[in-house]
Amino acid sequence: MSTMTVDNTLRDRAVAAVATVDDPEIPGVSIVDLGLLETVTTTADGTVAIGLIPTFSGCPALAMIAADVEAAVTLLPEVGEVTVEWLRSPVWTIERVTDDARRTMATNLTLAVRADSGPTPCPRCDSPTVEKSEFGPSRCRAVHRCDSCLEVIEVMRDR
Amino acid sequence: MTPMTPGTAEFLLAFADDEHLMGQQHTEWIGIAPFLEEDMAFASIAQDELSHAALLYAIVTDKGQGGPPDDRAIDRLAFDRNADDYRSAQIVEVACTGWAHALVRHWLYDTAEELRWSLVARSELEPLRDTAARAAREERFHVRHADGLIDVLVRTPDSAGRLAGAVNDVLPLATGLFDPVAGEAEAVEAGVTSAPFDTLLPEWTDRVRARFPDIDIGAIAAPASAGRARRHEDFAALMARMNEVRSIDPTAIW
Repeated sequence: MSTMTVDNTLRDRAVAAVATVDDPEIPGVSIVDLGLLETVTTTADGTVAIGLIPTFSGCPALAMIAADVEAAVTLLPEVGEVTVEWLRSPVWTIERVTDDARRTMATNLTLAVRADSGPTPCPRCDSPTVEKSEFGPSRCRAVHRCDSCLEVIEVMRDR
Repeated sequence: MTPMTPGTAEFLLAFADDEHLMGQQHTEWIGIAPFLEEDMAFASIAQDELSHAALLYAIVTDKGQGGPPDDRAIDRLAFDRNADDYRSAQIVEVACTGWAHALVRHWLYDTAEELRWSLVARSELEPLRDTAARAAREERFHVRHADGLIDVLVRTPDSAGRLAGAVNDVLPLATGLFDPVAGEAEAVEAGVTSAPFDTLLPEWTDRVRARFPDIDIGAIAAPASAGRARRHEDFAALMARMNEVRSIDPTAIW
């Protein structure tokens, strides 16, 4: 969503509106860049149906995110009924997080994303980090420590 | 035959009731778990269970169509039925007497739950199959959480003794999870679930013995009959706590 082109179709405007919604726990990072947006369906008479997928079933922010998305899309001109639904599938995976989001999280929040294989690099100094606890401040985060710069790192994970 | 028969609904209700009450019970440790991080971790797991319950209740309320959930209808199933209409196992109804009990129950329950989701991973009921795919990943995490704590606690005589006491207290109720539920045979026939849950009792038993090798747990008996038809004596108090805030204003929007 970083290179936005001017496009007047309702669907594209709806996607752009959803992209203005940040994750309430990760300010500055859009839920679209986190890979939560799955489907956008529009009709000629202006109805918009948004399908989102949660990181985890137990994420406490789901209701807030859905309300924010509905409000953002409803503000668009020429929009009729707006529905927002949390979908049962697919399962959210860490690959859905965009490179843009990873950079913002690393720079602004010292928040890393778990590496597919091998140790997760430190968002500050790029050295390998060591997991200290699988159980971080929220369902989608573990706690690591960087043995090089000694920073305690929160690491987003999908399982 | 459509998979969503009355028997399937009964089968799903039992699963949903277990998830719902287990989640509610876990939330009672918010603020009083043994350490701060545990507060967060256990509350997160509770939220997963409550969400699984809502997803299962939703399949019942919209008859397997997989449409948007009707929150009011889900709440009516979750909170407004008579005690006799619940299908929960007594393990999720009993009030735990301390942290050791809560932890042992968490391990026993989630180990069973992980097996339970595996039975519906290829369900003919699409919303259930989709829910299972997500829940299975989450259950692995829940079991690792319980395992991590138990791994540490078994190393000191005091906590190992408390765990052993808790296992002996909780295990007889936990076997009730495998009680045949109404509608299960029909759900198996319709392809909603691949086999009766009690076919996995031996696998669960093996895992229990491997987890607690030093505890003399004796024979793990086949479930006492009709466990799910009768509410535990602690159920009424649990329902009262669950509905305490909600009953102040039943029409409130949450």
